[in-house]
Amino acid sequence: MNSSKKTGRLAKYSAGTLLLGGIVLGIILWGGFNWALALTNTEKFCISCHEMKDNVYQEYKNTIHYNNRTGVRATCPDCHVPKDWTHKIVRKIQASNELYHKLLGTIDTREKFKEHRLELALHEWKRMKSVNSRECRNCHDYEYMDFVAEGRRAVKAHSEGLDQGKTCIDCHKGIAHQLPKGWEKAAKDAGL
Amino acid sequence: MKQTRRDFIKTNAIAATAAAAGVTLPTLSATARAESNKIRWDKTACRFCGTGCSVLVGVKDDRIVATQGDPDAPVNRGLNCIKGYFLSKIMYGKDRLTQPLLRMRNGEYDKEGEFTPISWDQAFDIMADKWKTAIKKSMEENKGKPVDKITSRVGMFGSGQWTVWEGYAASKLYKAGFRSNNLDPNARHCMASAVGAFIRAFGADEPMGCYDDLEHADAFVLWGPNMAEMHPILWSRLTDTRLTKEGCEVHVLSTYRHRSFELADNDMIFKPQTDLAILNYIANYIIENEAYNKDFIAKHVNFTKTPTDIGYGLRPTDPRERKAKNPGKGKLSKISFEEYAESVKPYTLEHASALSGVPKEKLLRLAKLYADPNKKITSYWTMGFNQHTRGVWANGLCYNIHLLMGKISEPGNGPFSLTGQPSACGTAREVGTFSHRLPADYVVFKKPHRDFAEKIWKLPDGTIPGKKGYHAVLQNRMLKDGKLNAYWVMCTNNMQAGANMNEETYPGYRNPDNFIVVSDPYPTVTAQAADLILPTAMWAEKEGAYGNAERRTQFWRQQVSAPGEAKSDVWQIMEFSKRFKTEEVWPEDLLAKKPEYRGKTLYEILYANGQVDKFPKTQVTDEAGNVYQNHEMDHFGFYVQKGLFEEYRRFQHEGVKKGHEQAPFEMYHKARGLRWPVIDGKETLWRYREGYDPYVKAGEGVRFYGRKDGRANIITAPYEPPAESPDKEFDMWLCTGRVLEHWHSGSMTRRVPELYRAVPDAVIFMHPDDAKARGLRRGLPATVRSRRGEITAMVETRGRNRPPRGLVFVPWFDASRLVNKVTLDATDPLSKETDYKKCAVKVVRA
Amino acid sequence: MKLKLISVMIVLISGLAGNASGIESLRGMKPLDGSSGKVEVKKVPKDGDLIQRNYVQQPPLIPHKIDGYQINLDFNKCMSCHSWSRYKETGATKISQTHFKDRDGVDLATVSARRYFCTQCHVPQANAKPLVENTFKPVEAISQ
Repeated sequence: MNSSKKTGRLAKYSAGTLLLGGIVLGIILWGGFNWALALTNTEKFCISCHEMKDNVYQEYKNTIHYNNRTGVRATCPDCHVPKDWTHKIVRKIQASNELYHKLLGTIDTREKFKEHRLELALHEWKRMKSVNSRECRNCHDYEYMDFVAEGRRAVKAHSEGLDQGKTCIDCHKGIAHQLPKGWEKAAKDAGL
Repeated sequence: MKQTRRDFIKTNAIAATAAAAGVTLPTLSATARAESNKIRWDKTACRFCGTGCSVLVGVKDDRIVATQGDPDAPVNRGLNCIKGYFLSKIMYGKDRLTQPLLRMRNGEYDKEGEFTPISWDQAFDIMADKWKTAIKKSMEENKGKPVDKITSRVGMFGSGQWTVWEGYAASKLYKAGFRSNNLDPNARHCMASAVGAFIRAFGADEPMGCYDDLEHADAFVLWGPNMAEMHPILWSRLTDTRLTKEGCEVHVLSTYRHRSFELADNDMIFKPQTDLAILNYIANYIIENEAYNKDFIAKHVNFTKTPTDIGYGLRPTDPRERKAKNPGKGKLSKISFEEYAESVKPYTLEHASALSGVPKEKLLRLAKLYADPNKKITSYWTMGFNQHTRGVWANGLCYNIHLLMGKISEPGNGPFSLTGQPSACGTAREVGTFSHRLPADYVVFKKPHRDFAEKIWKLPDGTIPGKKGYHAVLQNRMLKDGKLNAYWVMCTNNMQAGANMNEETYPGYRNPDNFIVVSDPYPTVTAQAADLILPTAMWAEKEGAYGNAERRTQFWRQQVSAPGEAKSDVWQIMEFSKRFKTEEVWPEDLLAKKPEYRGKTLYEILYANGQVDKFPKTQVTDEAGNVYQNHEMDHFGFYVQKGLFEEYRRFQHEGVKKGHEQAPFEMYHKARGLRWPVIDGKETLWRYREGYDPYVKAGEGVRFYGRKDGRANIITAPYEPPAESPDKEFDMWLCTGRVLEHWHSGSMTRRVPELYRAVPDAVIFMHPDDAKARGLRRGLPATVRSRRGEITAMVETRGRNRPPRGLVFVPWFDASRLVNKVTLDATDPLSKETDYKKCAVKVVRA
Repeated sequence: MKLKLISVMIVLISGLAGNASGIESLRGMKPLDGSSGKVEVKKVPKDGDLIQRNYVQQPPLIPHKIDGYQINLDFNKCMSCHSWSRYKETGATKISQTHFKDRDGVDLATVSARRYFCTQCHVPQANAKPLVENTFKPVEAISQ
């Protein structure tokens, strides 16, 4: 990209034109990048891979995050991709590893997926715990929970748990997907 | 005295009510207090499914106050399912029927009248009048006909929930007394295909294995049954084995995902009817890989084929019947092993997978499991195979696999047909309540069998008609057509069960030519459709016996009195028989053979016959000296239950058919059930195998002695399409069935508030995408409509059942939405059992 | 007498409702060839008070919603509150001691595998008025 030939050719244009061109190109690229980013940040994109569609998505469809009283939905990226730009980019870069495994076919059958799901779940729980369940908190804020509206069990767990400094994912593992065999021990061993 | 675990639990239970009698010697005042608080515990068999759990019933002041799983029972070892735990409440629905009710207007019977309380005398008066009219007409029609051609206008629809002696008494009243073979049990809807296949393959009804297989097997294959809900206690035993035995696997096949899939190592959802192809694929795999047991096949198996294109048991006018080449045909013809191998050859992995929709690797895994000589496999099925227009075939194709591998009749290895009713085996099948059967596997259409029955029953030669009677589905058609006119429905709720209710069942009951009597403890929908309702004593209100799916016969004593004027089925049958003189029901030529029977009542001929009334009135007590009532004994003056049972036993001990022997009456009141054949007081766990079955001689190894040559039949049969498949207009499959919390039509369980609240209404289980495509969603009412009728219920897309796209599942327990209006009355042409698992419907917004 | 009175009353009431047969099944007064009964969602409350048992041997009913609870080969959600290691922390009813015996009555350190699927015996309760009153009386009521 930075070969001297190219620089030479560019020199023909005035600085102003270049600047303008650069800005335009920048906008296009930036816009395109963000457009692409936004595109990959949809449920539709997530379930365009059968690995997601046939496994985790099916399970999620039976949960309260998919359908509920008010129709407010949390789609895949709402929980699994950070909202703010910097964290999002970091997560997206990590996703390249997922693309690599997609190509390898690491979880391309139900059996393979089941073999790996504990490991995958641990990754996600670790991430969620490390950011104090940031994505949960985009919608759920302890400050605004109405203990009158909550069930008895929820009030007890929320009032005690959060006092002890617990974070959402400490208790709510498996809220939108099935839990893999042996997860309790694995999570404990991993300090989750 | 050795204290059993049962005693321990009993004492704990008693302690819980401050009574410690029998454990320590309390002071006098404490004894008095204990007496007033004492609960009497005794064993009974559960009232619900075919598992046959033993239940301890706690009684105080003539009321059941508690029930619990019987810790000493081998079947359930102290466990019950949620229904079983609430047995104590099933008799106490406030709307128990306590008086006979007749439809009347202006003081007289009127088909369109309102139900009015009458006395038992009045009830039997009108009933006898109607029966006599119908029998008279039949006698005229039968004039000059040989015994194997005679027909009858009276009939009865009985039950796999009858106690053993009730079924036996009914069989006798109809087949001998009324000379009508139009007696069929609701077990026709439930077990007939299994019976047909057992007889065809082994020459003897009922499984070779037993529940002990649940602990012995290395792998289980579920061909459709949702054992987790329908046979919860067997499921708990299976779960125990799966979770504790190294390498144990569970393969689950069904047309939709259900609770049993929670334990599945290999889960398979197949398209309806393609089980036939999968079964044949497995046989093909075994043959192609030469995995079959050559020695076993050479010694113990015949290869045969069955006629194909046999129709769907619909009315003969139906185009599908007209099109069939061999409607209703089932005569087997012998083939060679090579011909058999050739017949299953088309069922390759690719073909089976394409037809069934099950991924190849899953089918292959299943086939490899069966083909592994080192794995002990038990296959289970219930209504998926049985309620199938090719049900006898499907049962047989499963036997084929087990026979090819020799995996049969030994601990952990065998095909096992589960039953839905508490005494589908013990009563419906064993005492001959089917329209073609006599007690102990004898049949009406064979003269030597009839002769044998007539000998035991002390009847004139030629009393029992030789023509098969009307089976369940045909009874409804004949009622509608006016050929069956006096009809008694006992201990069953067929208005909620019989398929195509709108077009066949209901019109038959309301046909002005007919008089319909329904005996039931509760006002069921069948009772609503009747002309006369008889209030019935149920379950622990009478002394009873049930036979479960593993050939185990279990007895119980009468625990409490029945409410009001409610009477047991056996009382009703025997009391009704007093209304008939032999001249009124038998033709002159028959009476001439036994002139001493002239002027006698059927009661005298059939029950007070010197055999049934042989055992005098006595006091029923248990080992602890507790005294029990026996209402029938008090009324008739002899030990009715014992007399009937002992006479029935003669069929097992004096005939040519061996291997069906039960123990003497008294033994069953002591044991936690015994599995027949019981020889010298010893029960049989695995039939047909040396070392387990006393009828297999030393050195024989295996002998299928139900058949003359001692060999079982492998019967080849192809895949054939169902009677009705989804099309453009009716674009979905409908499958019907049960739920854990309710038993059958819910007439008992829905009157228990806890069970009702657990599952209040039937819902339409469907795939969320199917719902969406029809503008439906979870919680919206929808209509399920077929060519025959419709019901409205709520859509459920997230419930315990998860159908694939294109199929809906609706349970049938809910009287408010009679799903049998929607189902098709197509049957297996061989077994005459209805296919409740597949018909075409559409689902639209209500 | 009472029963007679009830049946007479049933006949009377049904006469008023216009049902020709005059008896009421679990379908109510709706004619058999008529349409299905009303469809309504009967909800299980999120949380409720403990439900009184009818007799000591009765398995306790579940006083809360269990929608979507995972109970399969991989995991049993019920145990995350009701197990002996968790019940104190969660305030849930601990599972009965009877559950720690195998089929042969041998004591086990963990819950018996035959008791693995809790919902075979324990079920939640929807808010629904019973279709028919049940006159069962617990032993205390009879002893008094």
